[in-house]
Amino acid sequence: MTTVVERPVVSDVRPGSSAAAVAALALFETRRLLTRLPVIIAFLVYLGWTVWRGGTDWDGYPALQDVDRATQGAPMLVGLAVLLSVNLAALRSRRHGTEHHFSVLVLPPWRRTVAHALSVVAAALLTAVCVAAQFGREALRPGAIGHGSVAELLVGPLTVLLSGLVGLLMAGLVRSALAGPLTVVFFLFLTLFGTGTSDGWSRWLMPVVVEPTANTLPSDLLGRPAAWHALYLAGLALCAGLLAVLAAGGRKPVVMAGVAGAVAMTLVGGVAQAGGDSPALVRARERATVNPGQVQTCVPRDGSTYCVFPEWGPRVADWAGVVDRVRSLAGGSAHEQKVVVRQRIEARYGLSGDGALTPLERPHEVTVGTRWGGNRVPEFSAAVAGVLVAGNEKASTSICDGRMVTVMWLAVGWESDPVAALRRVRLDDSATGSALVLQPTNGMYMTDAQTEVLRELLDRPRGEVTARVRSHWAELTEPKVTAARAAALLGVKAPEGDDKCLD
Amino acid sequence: MTPTVSASGLSLRYGGTRALDDVSLRLTGGVTGLLGPNGAGKTTLLRVLATALPADRGAFTVLGHDPGTARGRQEVRRRLGYLPQTPGFHPDFTAFEFVDYVAILKEMTDRAARHREVRRVLDEVGLADVRGKRIRKLSGGMRQRVALGAALVGDPGFLVLDEPTVGLDPEQRMRFRELIAGAGEGRTVLLSTHQTEDVAMLCHRVLVMAGGRVRFEGTPAELTARAAGRVWSSKERDPGAKAGWRTGTGAFRNVGDPPDGAELVEPTLEDGYLLTLDGDAVEVAA
Repeated sequence: MTTVVERPVVSDVRPGSSAAAVAALALFETRRLLTRLPVIIAFLVYLGWTVWRGGTDWDGYPALQDVDRATQGAPMLVGLAVLLSVNLAALRSRRHGTEHHFSVLVLPPWRRTVAHALSVVAAALLTAVCVAAQFGREALRPGAIGHGSVAELLVGPLTVLLSGLVGLLMAGLVRSALAGPLTVVFFLFLTLFGTGTSDGWSRWLMPVVVEPTANTLPSDLLGRPAAWHALYLAGLALCAGLLAVLAAGGRKPVVMAGVAGAVAMTLVGGVAQAGGDSPALVRARERATVNPGQVQTCVPRDGSTYCVFPEWGPRVADWAGVVDRVRSLAGGSAHEQKVVVRQRIEARYGLSGDGALTPLERPHEVTVGTRWGGNRVPEFSAAVAGVLVAGNEKASTSICDGRMVTVMWLAVGWESDPVAALRRVRLDDSATGSALVLQPTNGMYMTDAQTEVLRELLDRPRGEVTARVRSHWAELTEPKVTAARAAALLGVKAPEGDDKCLD
Repeated sequence: MTPTVSASGLSLRYGGTRALDDVSLRLTGGVTGLLGPNGAGKTTLLRVLATALPADRGAFTVLGHDPGTARGRQEVRRRLGYLPQTPGFHPDFTAFEFVDYVAILKEMTDRAARHREVRRVLDEVGLADVRGKRIRKLSGGMRQRVALGAALVGDPGFLVLDEPTVGLDPEQRMRFRELIAGAGEGRTVLLSTHQTEDVAMLCHRVLVMAGGRVRFEGTPAELTARAAGRVWSSKERDPGAKAGWRTGTGAFRNVGDPPDGAELVEPTLEDGYLLTLDGDAVEVAA
């Protein structure tokens, strides 16, 4: 059945301004962009990855100057999805043959392009919310220390913005639906092979600059030109967006001026970010590496002293807790031994260098690194135990006798799951046989026989073993004591495995 | 009465082809039919009047605005509804989204009022029940109605429809006639078509074009009257007829200059149209 309309109803809609129409169209395009399947999938993968990573990484003790950079990689996936979707949306009229039809509508094509660009801004803002949530969650952890950089946090959203606007520009330049996918392939190729392990200035031309090491440094020693890089990315994004508007016919003075400004932004940011480390930064890194005491604060706690870089002050209580538990298992003077815990870094090569530290030779001085949580806890515990047994860090790394049994008992004996801690502190995650034991400086070596004795001890009641350790402390910490002798003193069966150290 | 469209001397060439040749016309309220053979210049004229193409020469106004100026063109576009010959669609848009999108491109910025308007036109074209359906799932007739809805959104003062009933089955064509008749109430509609019945049933004025020129401008009755005394019936096809065909009764209907004593019959608008195109390659098979 049909209805005959005898007299048209007069519409109550009155035209608004072009700017308001662009805003309305931007809302329309934003809703469509954010409900495209590739974008939804990309955001879901991004959020899923973020939640999963958040639950496993940093072990609850994040350094915020690392966390900010960790927000940058995943948004690239969203960026590529936005690039594809915006490209297709901008080609919509051409793909579906509505160009001639829509050419007689009031809003000109260049203003429609502006609306597409604004929809990309919305996707970038949504990414910024995700980045802020990711960073905020880490910052709110009780063990968080350090300072994040707003410029580093901007990289993720700016990458999405840049990708989307490049997709829009490609739609204006190459009026084929193949342009978007080909651009994505080009981006992937550039990401995989364009940066490589390069540590030169050219790597800063990429949107996301990944550091080759997981070194954690004080935030003032990072030397990453994050603000200049953000300016560079913003300039690139603006260039792409404004060129897309120009390509769509928006040859207005304000657009031309905008392109000039965007090119200037890109050049300023691009040149400044390639400037390298300043002499002041190089001096500061040298000082922090060679004479950290000059820039550290020393905090006394339970008789020991903790010398830390300013941002790590909140960690002293965690370290003191480990020192206290290790000492509680020791005998002789070691039970009351005061130690100096010195936080140390190798900052001279920035984030791209090897962070290896040499052991300290000063008596009862222990190195602690800049990362904490997870494996770093038993590693520090092993270093404290080594100093209590051998007297100093250098000597502890040279132990090649049955004292390792006592060192490792002190290191893991206080843990709620000492075998798990033993696995975590050994390089090969083993709990049997010989292995290298990790600590903040050089490692220590456990023979097969020493491991056997230790495992026997870990199967016995802690109080019983502690009592034996204390009563035989002098002999157990005597150089040249064998694993078999240690076993006899501690009341466990003699080991059958090899008891030879590495050469 | 002020005409909605007033054009004089419109000319346009595509390469060596004269698509429009000194076309002058005046359109007022109601539905005006535009008839002509393929290549007559109908679509070109519609595209010029709809501001999709600029004319090489001549001048015209639509709703009092001169599309020759940027400002005038914008004003015309604000009050224009245009349904092209082969409208494109965004298949993953719903009917509502498509018309809403067009409404935004017509600078209707008040969201609530715009959505009311979109619902109104979808009601008007009989698509209220499927407005949430994706266009790719709609039939050809429904898609054509979506396109008409997009043309009607914003209550345009001048509606340009380029062969809107092509490819529609008879029922859909009837429905479209109803819609176009409704659309012609209170506004000016220029309807290009090959269907002379559409013109006869819908239009208060008719233009006939051929070779880029307007060959006739008047009422359908006047066009029909052109064939008065020039249509006759015979048992055999009259070799002197310009066109002739066997009808359902078995007799031949001839159009042209009848012989003496011919059995004259009542002419139709189509007869008038054929005679108007005399000399412009119109063939009607026997």
